[in-house]
Amino acid sequence: MSATDCWYPVALSNDLEAGLSAGTRLFDREMCIWRDSDGGVHAWEDRCPHRGMRLSFGFVRGDRIACLYHGWQYDTHGECRFIPSHPELDVPRNIRVATFPCVERLGMVWVYSGLAIERPPELAVEPLDVLPVRSLYLDCVPATAAQSLAAESGNLLSAGSSLLSIDVEGLRLITGVQPFGAAKTALHIVLPGGHEGRDGGARRAASSWAEQFRNDLESSGPPDDEPIGRYEAAP
Amino acid sequence: MTALKLYDYELDEQCYKVRLLLGLLGYAYEKVAVDVYPGGEQRSARFLRLNPLGALPILTDADMVLSGAEAILAYLARKYDGARGWFPDEPETVGRVVQWLAFAGNNLTAASTARAQALFEVRACATTANHAARRAFRVMEDHMTKQQFADAFWFAGNAATIADIALFPAIALSRDIAVDHDEYPALRRWMGRVRTLPGFITMPGIPAYH
Repeated sequence: MSATDCWYPVALSNDLEAGLSAGTRLFDREMCIWRDSDGGVHAWEDRCPHRGMRLSFGFVRGDRIACLYHGWQYDTHGECRFIPSHPELDVPRNIRVATFPCVERLGMVWVYSGLAIERPPELAVEPLDVLPVRSLYLDCVPATAAQSLAAESGNLLSAGSSLLSIDVEGLRLITGVQPFGAAKTALHIVLPGGHEGRDGGARRAASSWAEQFRNDLESSGPPDDEPIGRYEAAP
Repeated sequence: MTALKLYDYELDEQCYKVRLLLGLLGYAYEKVAVDVYPGGEQRSARFLRLNPLGALPILTDADMVLSGAEAILAYLARKYDGARGWFPDEPETVGRVVQWLAFAGNNLTAASTARAQALFEVRACATTANHAARRAFRVMEDHMTKQQFADAFWFAGNAATIADIALFPAIALSRDIAVDHDEYPALRRWMGRVRTLPGFITMPGIPAYH
């Protein structure tokens, strides 16, 4: 555990459906997030201990995730429980994947950046009903994205947790900032308040604002498409 | 014996579009393997007579000869899908489906080009093609994000059409051009839906799981 370890949002809860795995990154470190069939969410190092294959390419069956390469199966604690090529083998307990602490709050999946912490500090975010909007991936450094958000009349909701409230287009949005990598940032955007009495209008407006925000931030509008004549025909 | 004959290359995602629709329709056909790489057989005199562009897929149905994945999808859907679900008749849906077919045939060409460069030694500017491919995937991601707000879980509405089939391979195979799926959560969910369609078939690089 280092002094900089902290909780970060890495996905919207509703985008990680039961039985699905996905890859993501925190400070360029590859991470596998997956949801078991009982709804539990897990964040692991994205490496199968066997051959180093990314586990996020794997598939979830019940409360286990299996590697796409050779089908090694891991339980919700990251322990290998079954090796298909040695079905009789009592799998040694030390074959295990490194796991990150992981919780859900505000419709987002949160990961603590320190590996194998027994008791991470409590995530200091109050529970609140929200309506998910979208995740937005930006080709820019996290600090730039956070500054641009703050410029949109943003208020820092929680000092340690990269969470901002912003008012745009007559809407109040809550935005979680994920430092994806040196040159990439993800924003996880939700509307405070639940589903009741709302159609898709507010979410569409929020999503359109997000697209505009991304275009402005990345420079000034989408680049022109290259003329198709630059390519040679595919075989 | 079926009259349908598909001139096919297993690793070509354009051919896969046709194989996928025929799988979903459960329709029997004859598959003729063409030596695209390294042979370049699709550019031989024999195949240029079928398609002067020297490209696959090519479909023959008795005297009918068609080339180009999107045209073949439209033809097969109209001729062999009695329920018309894959290419519905309503003008609004026709417009949306054809818009996305054109997108698949134009904007996603960049992804095919980048993949051909990576896999088959086709000369192309990989950086330029990769950039254009990512831009096209973003347009798809933004669209499917908004579709979900209207409880429409497919590209042209609330049912799968040939537009979904034409768009699926490029993003499903994007790891061949070093583009991860991390940034496309709405497309990830949609790809999961495609994979669970009855009759779904795989190709090298597109596993059944998920």
